[in-house]
Amino acid sequence: MTAPLDLASYAFDGTTSWQSKPDVVVFPTTAEQVSQIMKLATAQKIPVTPRGAGSNLSGGSVPVSAGIVLCMTRMNKILKIDADSFTVTTEVGVVLNDLNLELTKQNLFFPPDPQSFLAATIGGCVSENAGGPYAVKYGVFKHYLLGLTAVLPNGAIVKLGGNTVKNVTGYDLPQILCGSEGTLAVITQVTLRLLPLPPSHRTVVAVFDKVVTSGQAVHKVLTAGILPAKIEMMDNWVIRRIEETTPLGLPLDAGSMLLFELDGTQSAVDKDVESVIKSCQQAGAINVRAAKDAGEAANFWTARRAGFSAIYGASPNIFAEDVTVPISHIADLIDKVQQIAKKYDLTIVIIGHAGDGNLHPSVLTDKKNAEHYARAEKAVDEIFLAALEYGGAISGEHGIGLEKKRFMKQAMQPEAIDLLRGIKKVFDPDNILNPGKIWEEKS
Amino acid sequence: MKTLPESLPAREGDNLDDANKCMKCGFCMYNCPIYKVDHIESHVARGRNVLIRQANEKTIPTDAEYAERLSYCLLCGRCAAICPAKVQSPDINVAARTDVVNRKGLSLPKRVIYRGILKNRKLMANLLGAAAIVPGVSTKDGKPLRHMADFTSVFTKGLSLPKLSKPFLSSLLPAKTSPPQGVKIKGQVAIFPGCAFEFFFADIGEGIAQVLAKAGYEVVYIKDLTCCGLAVRSAGDLKTAQQMAKHNIQKLAKFDRIITGCATCGSALKDYGKWFGDKDPFKKQAQEFSAKVSDFSEFLAKEGIKSKAAEPVVVTYHDPCHMKWHQGISSQPRELLRSIEGVKFVEMEGADDCCGLGGAFTLAHRDISLAIQDKKMQNIKNTGAQIVVTSCPGCLIQLKDGVRRNKLPVKVMHISELMRGTEDK
Repeated sequence: MTAPLDLASYAFDGTTSWQSKPDVVVFPTTAEQVSQIMKLATAQKIPVTPRGAGSNLSGGSVPVSAGIVLCMTRMNKILKIDADSFTVTTEVGVVLNDLNLELTKQNLFFPPDPQSFLAATIGGCVSENAGGPYAVKYGVFKHYLLGLTAVLPNGAIVKLGGNTVKNVTGYDLPQILCGSEGTLAVITQVTLRLLPLPPSHRTVVAVFDKVVTSGQAVHKVLTAGILPAKIEMMDNWVIRRIEETTPLGLPLDAGSMLLFELDGTQSAVDKDVESVIKSCQQAGAINVRAAKDAGEAANFWTARRAGFSAIYGASPNIFAEDVTVPISHIADLIDKVQQIAKKYDLTIVIIGHAGDGNLHPSVLTDKKNAEHYARAEKAVDEIFLAALEYGGAISGEHGIGLEKKRFMKQAMQPEAIDLLRGIKKVFDPDNILNPGKIWEEKS
Repeated sequence: MKTLPESLPAREGDNLDDANKCMKCGFCMYNCPIYKVDHIESHVARGRNVLIRQANEKTIPTDAEYAERLSYCLLCGRCAAICPAKVQSPDINVAARTDVVNRKGLSLPKRVIYRGILKNRKLMANLLGAAAIVPGVSTKDGKPLRHMADFTSVFTKGLSLPKLSKPFLSSLLPAKTSPPQGVKIKGQVAIFPGCAFEFFFADIGEGIAQVLAKAGYEVVYIKDLTCCGLAVRSAGDLKTAQQMAKHNIQKLAKFDRIITGCATCGSALKDYGKWFGDKDPFKKQAQEFSAKVSDFSEFLAKEGIKSKAAEPVVVTYHDPCHMKWHQGISSQPRELLRSIEGVKFVEMEGADDCCGLGGAFTLAHRDISLAIQDKKMQNIKNTGAQIVVTSCPGCLIQLKDGVRRNKLPVKVMHISELMRGTEDK
């Protein structure tokens, strides 16, 4: 596609800050076609930006150097679900939710659950090393990537990794591509590890007077020896919005709410529920109880998703940040974010996957109000720095892309960034694959 | 200083600025019947909202290319249903189309159809009546209406249209249909048949009135209603659509309850309030009218009426977009079907997936329309049902076309046809 209007609709991703039109969008349906395109691009030195659904949140799929957008959405076949070996092999354009629907039919479970699962493609998820609420117990995409097929910039089609959980055949090359944001090779097919679907789930909801107290409760639950499948946090702002749209009888003056999901066998889940309730009480919860039944539990989780929707609907621009800290510092980070909000007179909503230390402090702003926007940007900078100070990371699951490039120097040693550059050079000597991402060019 | 609203802003339809509220999460892609076929971003709400936003900011021209991108939309409403930010993308698209029409005007054929024929019920009857007596148009079942196609330049590209009814509903249905003897009269309702039940499926139009009468209602039929206006509004000719709405509202003003058997008309009538701007003095009357409108199955599900199928049959149901996504009606027709003696109801996979018609969409983008139709046919076939029931004449046309193309041994029926039973036929 080359019509200007079609190109305009491939100029962005899920963020609000970046826009850049490609010169052409192509939709390959086989690895061979990708190979031909890459050979041509290498010969002509044309930049190529691989793209899935373009739902990523860091600018990773925005074609800042124009050239070719390689849109992988038509490579959308699930090739083989192996219920005996607990693996699935799939093309990269399959949407995560479609994969999950097929797996559930066979009592199989693929845990990584980025909340963009209705849009995100498997290829995008691998390239961004995505994760979600299940990360507490089950980890993120990289923990399930066994093998893949990819096309190198010179057009070579390579198979990396294999089909087994244990595999130490040389350097772990699939892991180098995982999270590489499309800068090293074009992934066309992946093999992922699956788990049996846990037979039983229960949900616990705990209400706190302060966000900080709920952060302490998360720590308490985990150190008591319980590993919930999910621990999600919502602050007062989110609770109030949920009650406005879907009344669930949540206390409107509560500072914070935690939702826990426990899964496993029935008897183990029941025991874990008791333990979580006890830990929350000890941490000072105002109210804590288990959801009555699956229906009520589903309502709470719908509310959790509605929480994010409420944030997205609340103001013209949102910085939905993605900082992660070691679990012992969750309460500190929350405290710090609240100070920053006060300092810059901003509304910063806190929602996140508290169980793995990954919070999404969301700064509400409006690009049209330059002064407000500038304050919001400053606040974001300070949130990043705070996360680093607590020994955390500037991105838990969204990636670096364009948005967090300028923080790389603080997040990584110069020697480590040089290693990234070196790896890039081995894969892509002409720098044609998704150029201009992750680290800043040396000036 | 707080510069931002503390609560979610109201989401009024028909506002081009609403395109700015799209947060680009891409969930609409998961639900969009068109994107699922072609995976092209400028054909789905997220991409289109970006284009509309840019047209608003005048960074791209509102030319024919732009109008063409706006046409890649069934206005089915699935994107709005799944949108976390509750962006009403179909309304935004209609507003954008209206904007194009306001700037560029309508093509001559469209002007003739929307402003001349569709608006003037009598003229439409006369013209269609003339077409109906042309040999081969109304007599051969299931054949494309080629003469109509030439005549209006709308019906083309091989979609097999139903034969024209002979006679039309206006010669078939009395001004009042009373409940059969022995049935207690519960009240009076007016029916809004819509163009399809007037001219193409008049017998169904008659059946709708008779089932309502059987349920204890005196059914009033007013002959000089006009088209509901939805197709005209969808194409961006808001002014004509408003005139149609006004006409219908005034003609039906004295009735407390208006029933339609057409999902599309129902969604239009219930939306009339939204068709008029906040400052329009007619808005209030339109809103009051909209509140009095019920769909046939929505109305009857509460009535507990008994009907019996001619023989035991396996039935499945197709959710029209204008029913499920625009009116939120999906359980009621199923309840009704289950209540019919002799009916074994089976659910099909993707019952609420679009049939692919989308009004004029099927004519503009026939290949995509057929790809969507094919999937629907497969799902119908998998159920083993003998009858597929739906509540929308547009879906009836598309499903009948699909059944014919795929040679499926399946009957396509409006829900009232099963409820009408055999004794009246």
